[in-house]
Amino acid sequence: MLKIVDSAVPVACWSCSAAHKASALFCSNCSKIQPPPSGEYFSVFGLRPQLNLDLDALERELHRLSRRLHPDRFARASENEREWSLADTALLNDAYRTLKDPLRRTEYLLKLHGAEIGEEHAGKDRRDPSRVPPDLLEEVFDLNMQLEEMRSARQAGETDQELEKNLVEAKKKFDGLLEEVDRDLRAQWQAWDEGDQAAREAAQKTMAALLDRRRYLNNLVRDVTETLGA
Amino acid sequence: MAYSDKVVDHYNNPRNVGTLDKSSQEVGTGLVGAPECGDVMRLQIRVNPETQVIEEAKFKTFGCGSAIASSSLATEWIKGRTVEDALTIKNTDIVKELSLPPVKIHCSVLAEDAIRAAIGDWKKKNGVAETAQAAVAAK
Repeated sequence: MLKIVDSAVPVACWSCSAAHKASALFCSNCSKIQPPPSGEYFSVFGLRPQLNLDLDALERELHRLSRRLHPDRFARASENEREWSLADTALLNDAYRTLKDPLRRTEYLLKLHGAEIGEEHAGKDRRDPSRVPPDLLEEVFDLNMQLEEMRSARQAGETDQELEKNLVEAKKKFDGLLEEVDRDLRAQWQAWDEGDQAAREAAQKTMAALLDRRRYLNNLVRDVTETLGA
Repeated sequence: MAYSDKVVDHYNNPRNVGTLDKSSQEVGTGLVGAPECGDVMRLQIRVNPETQVIEEAKFKTFGCGSAIASSSLATEWIKGRTVEDALTIKNTDIVKELSLPPVKIHCSVLAEDAIRAAIGDWKKKNGVAETAQAAVAAK
């Protein structure tokens, strides 16, 4: 379970006993490597949780920390330190992969704030109709029907020009809707990064709904692309 | 993750796949979706107006094997039951029958929702008052 560990609360270095940030990979006093921190991913990079990120700076920081953590540098260190260099490197890479991807970053931040996202949490809010817009549902269903029709026509060795034209049109439309969702998400990033508590909570709710919508659209575009490309 | 034999069986030989005439007075249609995985499920029933027995049930599901199996099983179960009786089917019954793992429980939830939506649509069409059960649930 994810939770926000206050990385400002210091922990003692195993080597020099000086207090350092709980999220630090290295002691700020003696520079010794530390066991994998328990905090969230943003703090590993010395960042506060935020959605607009400077990806170039993030990558530079990844390279800098990776070099410092490289197992070769710990060949003669204690067994603990050798182990930590591997564990810290794995954590750093997980953190980077999560934060660099805009959707994974958004999902991660929402999870940090208690949102239940992912298949394992499915069905919990099922009585909340706002989560599944009915008009979109109709469209998703109809398009899936058309896709199936087209696949079976192809299997029979036929091409239905009309149907293919429809699907190309539909793909264009859903691509456009995806772009719209992504624009909306970015607007919410801003609202979250700059907002107060109330504004953040509102943005979190909106973002969770946008991610749901995006998943639908994304599956559709993927299926249409596959079928048209087959 | 391995699917149970029953899921595989329903997936390979889905029962009652198809479409009923949406505009018919005797037909109720439920269209539901799970945003978490992008699955969509349509379940339709044809109800005998005299006896209120579900004489025909058809489904069409776009989704994973568990979603297809859940809706296939749902149509099997509601056929021959009265609408009131069909409403007593719970997603947990489906979970048990198909041995669905926790991560796929939402597929059974979707199937239960689809039954309720189809019956709800039929009731609305036919001006049948909501049952005491539904009234309690709405509170």
